[in-house]
Parts: sequence; C-alpha cells; structure tokens
Amino acid sequence: MIKLEHVTKIYPGTTSPAVDDLSFTVPTGEICTIVGPSGCGKTTTMKMVNRLIEPTDGEIYVLNERGEMQNVLEMDPIILRRNIGYVIQQIGLFPHRTILQNMGTVPKLLEWDNTRIRSRAEELLDMMNMPHEFLDRYPHELSGGQRQRIGVARAMASDPPVMLMDEPFGAIDPINRNLLQNEFLRLQQEIKKTILFVTHDIDEAIKMGDKIAILNANGQLEQYDSPAKILSEPANEFIEDFVGADRTLKQLNLIRVEEVMDKKPFLLQSTQSVEEALKAMDEKGQDYAYVVDSDRRLQGYVSRKDLKGKSGWIDEYTTTAATSLPITMNLRDALSEMLMVDYSTICVVDNRDRVRGTVNTAMVQEALMETHSSERREEV
Amino acid sequence: MPKKEENKTAFIGFWQGLLDDWMAVLTRPNIETYIRLKERATSPKIVLNIALLGLVIGLYVLTIQPPAFIQTDSLLLDLGRLIFYTEADFFILSLILFVIAGLLGGTGGFVEHSYLLSLITAPLGLVIVAFLFVANKLGLTLAAIMNPLSSIGITTIFIVLFGLYAFLLLLFALEAAHEMESHQVIYTIGAVLGSWGILRVIAMFAAGEDNIITQESAFLAEEWARGTLQQAILGHLWMVAFSVFIAVVIGVVMGVLITMPPKRPSVSHLFFLIPLGVFFLIWAAPKGWLGMGIADPIMEVSDTLDIGLTRAAKGFFGPLLSLLSAIVRKPAAVGMIGVILTVILYALLLAGESASELTLYIAGIILTIPSIALFGVFIGPFSIGAFNAVVALTLYAQLPILRNTYTGIKEVKPEIVEAGRGMGMTEFQLLRNVKIPIATPVIMAGVRVSVVMLVGIAAIASYIGNDTLGDYIFHGIQRVQPLRYYAGAITVAVFALSMDYFLGWLQNRLTPEGLKGRR
Repeated sequence: MIKLEHVTKIYPGTTSPAVDDLSFTVPTGEICTIVGPSGCGKTTTMKMVNRLIEPTDGEIYVLNERGEMQNVLEMDPIILRRNIGYVIQQIGLFPHRTILQNMGTVPKLLEWDNTRIRSRAEELLDMMNMPHEFLDRYPHELSGGQRQRIGVARAMASDPPVMLMDEPFGAIDPINRNLLQNEFLRLQQEIKKTILFVTHDIDEAIKMGDKIAILNANGQLEQYDSPAKILSEPANEFIEDFVGADRTLKQLNLIRVEEVMDKKPFLLQSTQSVEEALKAMDEKGQDYAYVVDSDRRLQGYVSRKDLKGKSGWIDEYTTTAATSLPITMNLRDALSEMLMVDYSTICVVDNRDRVRGTVNTAMVQEALMETHSSERREEV
Repeated sequence: MPKKEENKTAFIGFWQGLLDDWMAVLTRPNIETYIRLKERATSPKIVLNIALLGLVIGLYVLTIQPPAFIQTDSLLLDLGRLIFYTEADFFILSLILFVIAGLLGGTGGFVEHSYLLSLITAPLGLVIVAFLFVANKLGLTLAAIMNPLSSIGITTIFIVLFGLYAFLLLLFALEAAHEMESHQVIYTIGAVLGSWGILRVIAMFAAGEDNIITQESAFLAEEWARGTLQQAILGHLWMVAFSVFIAVVIGVVMGVLITMPPKRPSVSHLFFLIPLGVFFLIWAAPKGWLGMGIADPIMEVSDTLDIGLTRAAKGFFGPLLSLLSAIVRKPAAVGMIGVILTVILYALLLAGESASELTLYIAGIILTIPSIALFGVFIGPFSIGAFNAVVALTLYAQLPILRNTYTGIKEVKPEIVEAGRGMGMTEFQLLRNVKIPIATPVIMAGVRVSVVMLVGIAAIASYIGNDTLGDYIFHGIQRVQPLRYYAGAITVAVFALSMDYFLGWLQNRLTPEGLKGRR
C-alpha cells in the first residue's frame, strides 16, 4: 500500500505548487497510473515517494514487508530506495556493467552473496522469457525492448513490495510497447506488486491501471478512480476533455471478449454429413456455420451455398477461417479485427485453439449499451 | 580499303590511343579514369612507354654529358644500353611496389599495375627531361634550380608542385590498380620510403660515412657507455612520474568535488582540522613560530629521512629517492603547501559545482604561464632544485586531469545517475561504482595529455638545477655543441612518444569492457 496525505511540493524560487495537496491511497497489489498534461507534477509525485524529491508538506506512507505502514519522511532515504523498485523511461542501465551486474545492483547494495544474486538474476530472466546467456552481455548488445525488460527486472531484483515506474514503455516503438505492456500485466498477475505508474498516455493509463489518478496542469488531483468509473463517470469537464471524445470506445478496452461472447454457439462437427449439416442450418436459419473437430478445435466454416446439392462429409467443403479471437482479447481490439474481416460472426478460441464461443458486432454494441444503462440506473 | 591503307590507319590509331591514355592520366586524374585505363593494359605497351622515356633520357645524357655515358664505340649501342637501364629500373621499382601492395591487401595484376605506373612515369619523365634540357641550355646547374634563394628560385615552387602532382597520380594509380583503400596506398608508399630510409642508414654506417646521423649515433653511444644518458633518462622519468602521480590524486579529487552539489558546513567537516593542524605544525615549527621545543624534533625527523634517502639513492629508484629527500628536506614548504591544499579542497567541498567555472578558469591561467617563469617564481619560496620542479610540474599537470575529470563525470548520462540514485546508492557509491568508471576513458585521456606535456616541461626543469634530459639541451646550447642538444631533443621526443603509446595502451586496459564496443 502507498498512501499520500495532503502532499504538496513547491520548488524553491516558485510560488505556485508543482503538486498541490495530493491525497490518495494505492491498495496493496494494484497498479495506480498517474496521468495528466505535461508539467502536471506526475513525475514529481512519484519521486517524492522514494524521496528523490522532498515534499514541502504532507505525509507519505508505504507498507513494508513486515506489514507496517512506514512514514517515508522519517526513514533514511538510502534504505527507503533500496526497498522500492524504480524504473525510468530512459532505463538507465549501467553501460559498463554486465546484465548480471546491472540486475544485481540493489542485491549487492543489500550485501547478498554472489550465488544468491546469480540465481535471482536467472529467475528474473526466466520471468521475462529471456535466455540466461544475457547475464554476461553488456547493455549495448541488447535491443531496446530487451533493455527495457532488463530495466524492469533490475527493479524487481530484491523483490520489493512497492515499485515506481516512470513512463517505463515510453521510449519503445508502438508494437513492442503493446507487447511489453501485455507481458507486464501478465507478470503482475503473479507478482502482485503495489505500483505507482506514471504515463502521459491516457490509453496506457487505462490499460495498465487498476486505479487512475488524473492531475491537472496545476498539480491538483482531478479524479482518482478505477478506469471504468473514469470513463463512464468523468468527474468534470477537465476529465472529459482529457479522456477524449472517444471515451465510449476506450471503455471497450476494459471489457474482454469472454464477457460478451455467445457461450453456446451454433457449431457443426467435421464428422457430420452434408445432409445433417444442411438440416441443422435450416433449423437455425443460418447461411454459414463454423466447423470444429471432436476436440472443439476450429477447422473452418461451411456455407449453405457450398453444401447445396452435395453429398458426403462436410469437412470436404470446409473453408479455413481467416481469423479467430483469443479469449483474453479486449473488445476494442476485437472490434477492429471484426471490421477488418468480412465475417458477421467470429470464433473466440482459448489458448489451445478450442472454440469457446462466437462474437459479433451486435454483441459489442449490446455490451456498450449495458454500461451506459447501468450508469443511468446509478444516477437515478 | 587496301591492306596498306588499313595498316596505316591501325598504326595511327595505336599511337593516337597511347597519346590519349597519356593525356587522360595527366589531365583527368580520378579513380574512374584510371580504372578505365586499366582495362587497356598490355605488356608491350608498358615496354613501349618506358622505352620512349629511356630513348629521350638516353639522347639527353648523351648530348649533355657524353664522357660519362659513352662506353662503346657505337652510339646506338650506348643508347640501347641506356634504354635497357631505364626499363630495368622501372620494372624493379614497379615490382617492389607491387609486392608491398600485395602484402598490404592489394588485388591487382602486375600488368595493370605496371601499365598505370608507366602511364605516369613516361609523360612526367619526359617533362622533367625537357625541363632539364632547357635549363642546361640556359646554362643553369641543378643546384641553382633547386635553390629557393637564387634568382630562379621560383622554379622550386613549380618543382614542388610537380612532385606533389606526381605523388597524387601515383596514389590514384595504386588505388585503381589494386582496388585498395586510400590508407593502404599511403602505407604502401610509406613502406617503400621507410625501407629505403632504413637501407640508406645501414649503408651509411657500413660505408663509415661521416655525417650528422653517424656522428649523433656515436655521441649517443658514448653517453650511454658512460652511463650519463641513462641517469638523465631515469631522472626525467621519475620527475614526470612523481609529479603526474600527485597531480592525478589531487586533480581527480578536485575534479570530482566541482561536479558535486554545494554542501552546508557540518560537524563531520571538523575532520579537515586534522590535516590542517598537522600541516600547520610542519609549516610553523621549523620557522620557530612555536618555539624550539617543537621545531627540533621535526627538523631531526627531516634530517634523518633526508640522510637515509640520500644514502639509498642508487639504481633504478635512485632519482625517485633523491626527489623524496629533496621534499623531506623542506618540511616548512611541505607544511605550507599542505595547509593551502587542505583549505582549497575544503572550499571546493563546500562550493561544489558553483566553483567549477572559477576553478577551471584558474587552472587554465596557470597553464598559460611560461614554464620558465613559473620555475622562476618558485625560486622565492622553494629556492632551486627538485622541490621547485615537482611543485611547478604538478601544477601544470593539474589542468588536463582536472578538466577531463570534470567533463568526464558531467558527461555521464543523467538517467544513469538517476537510476543509481533511485536504487539507493549513496553519493559515494554512485561516484565509485558508476560515475568514475564511466568517466575513466576521459580521465585517462587527460592523464595522457598531462604526461606528454610534462615530458617536455621537465626538460626545462633542468634550468633550475635538476638532472633531466634537459641538461643535454641546455649544456649543448651553452657550449654550442649541436650533437649535445640534438641528443636532448631526440631523447625527449622519443620519450614523449613512447609514454603516449604506453598510456594509450593503459587507457584501453582501464576502459570498462562494456564501454568499448560503443561509439
């Protein structure tokens, strides 16, 4: 848990505060993204937690490993920083040290022995899906994405309960960024760190955050809430503007295909005969049907036109499906896939390619309608 | 077309082609031209080109200096012999260039290579011969033409330009013939000239010639045999090494201090009182300010150390021990410098970065003081001798080290420092584990500059009575013995170059592995 109470920062030589009377609490094991226009004090806020910047006023508490709330302003900043993971946008790997030495920075400061540092580093590489050979390489031998993973791994080296991340994926190209974000979210499922995550990108804030803190240009907290609440119930005009006109569309980011799909779709078995298939399609009034094998693995689809007047087994007339959606995909990505292919309905498959349901644009629309009506109900 | 006519056309075409090639070589010197010409290379053409040159040279020498070259009764035979010599000379030279170019990665064939060389040699040779012929007819000797101070000295400029032009053509020819990089071509020509020089010097000694080179070698050998040269080299070496060592310690500390944020005075700074007190005691006591009771023991320690060091000052470490004894002999001066240094370091600790500009400025000014003047100024407080020299040399060595430490640390990317600090490194750990290792190549570059500079300045220290290679220079000038001051100049230059080479190697060794592959 990270708790800020009336935190204010006024830089020397200025009168207006960079961060103004900020209070919020990040629950243990959750990611809180801080987002706002540039110069809003989001990085300042984050750096006050590990006292790279000293607050002018207010209190900051962090829950330590022993489950005690500690006032960070009463701690030795050096000890404090060694117990808080820290990732910055430019990564800041030490160019003269190997990856092992880089990852072992904090453990070394905590005086771990070398075997323990090495095994921890290997464990972290496994976590990041990177080979152990990397340990003896130097940062300049790695690609940008790999370096960023090492940066995150280095911050987790001593397994701190709390991590601070300052635009950690900011300098990465969009494709790799998406990949790293997904990887990190998956990792967070296991490690359950309490994370303060600074970003200037509202989409990233929505994607990564369990909670979002939006600051305005004067360093004041405009709204602190879950992404869904921020999107559906923006507190004021500033938030509405900041989140953007497409906030309804952004809400789709928060819903997974699994939640809206038709869980009992109409499917044909590849072992069925053409006659049987046509009969089933007549009954359901469908012109197309997806075909699966005995394991529910997706084989393709058949159309009534292809089957008409034919005999034998339907697998002879099956066309391979151009796409299918993973069950964990969010609705926004799903929608864009749907618009790209010309199918009215797309199969949703699990990680073993088994069909778990189907989804179509009408279902997406329905899901959106539901979030809106639930808003309205709450208002009433 | 009748056969005769056809032959005639082919004949004219051949000469026209040859002339075109000459003109192309001279007037359009670029790689494309040469690569195109290379395609037309044949052995007879090479022989023909050189034979033409040989013919003209033969006619020239036989008309100008008949007695030296006429050996047989038949003029034609003599002419033939001279043509043959020209051919032979050309092919030997061409072969040497070819072999060396081949060793350095050249890929061209001998015919292409020789053809391009013959295309340069023939027309340029003809121009030279024509030039000499005209000069001869005007009654000018070669010496008069080459003398830039004579009335026709202007021709020297043309000769130099002509030589440069020829050299340029040679570069193109080799580059085109062997498809080499420019630096390989330079190495090729350098290797030819270098081996010629070495052979020339060997021949010089073998023949027992009496010129400046053999005389100088004999002088150096004599000095070496007497042991005076080694003594001077060792004196020089230790003078430089000791001064640079102190300059590195002080320079790096000062350079680091002026990158740090300013500090408020704190109780822990009372630690500075210890060195301050000790140095003040060493300074004040010999002066008798504190009474004889304290002065005597300090002088006694100083004397004992001095006697011990002086007695031990022999062999390789001899000059170093002499230096140390010169230092312990002056406890008051050491104390004074210690007090000043402690005060400066404490001031820099408090001021930190805000003092960086002023500090670098002052260090820069010190460097502009002529070394002789600085030695002179220090005669006041420290009189003459090794002590004075060490203080002045250390001051000089300061600046490059100080400046490079400062820039090296400042150049460490801020995100790297921030990452270190954010992970809980103390300021000292940041310095030791991050900033200084990353700045090492830059700091070492400063040390390298300092050392090379000091090798030169240490020679001047002999002016205030110190045994260095400068002795040779000063004594040589006083006694008007060129061999003596050449010896000083040569050894100092060789010393500086070898120190630079050694430090370059050291710099590479000290650069962290991870920093090498970049940039």
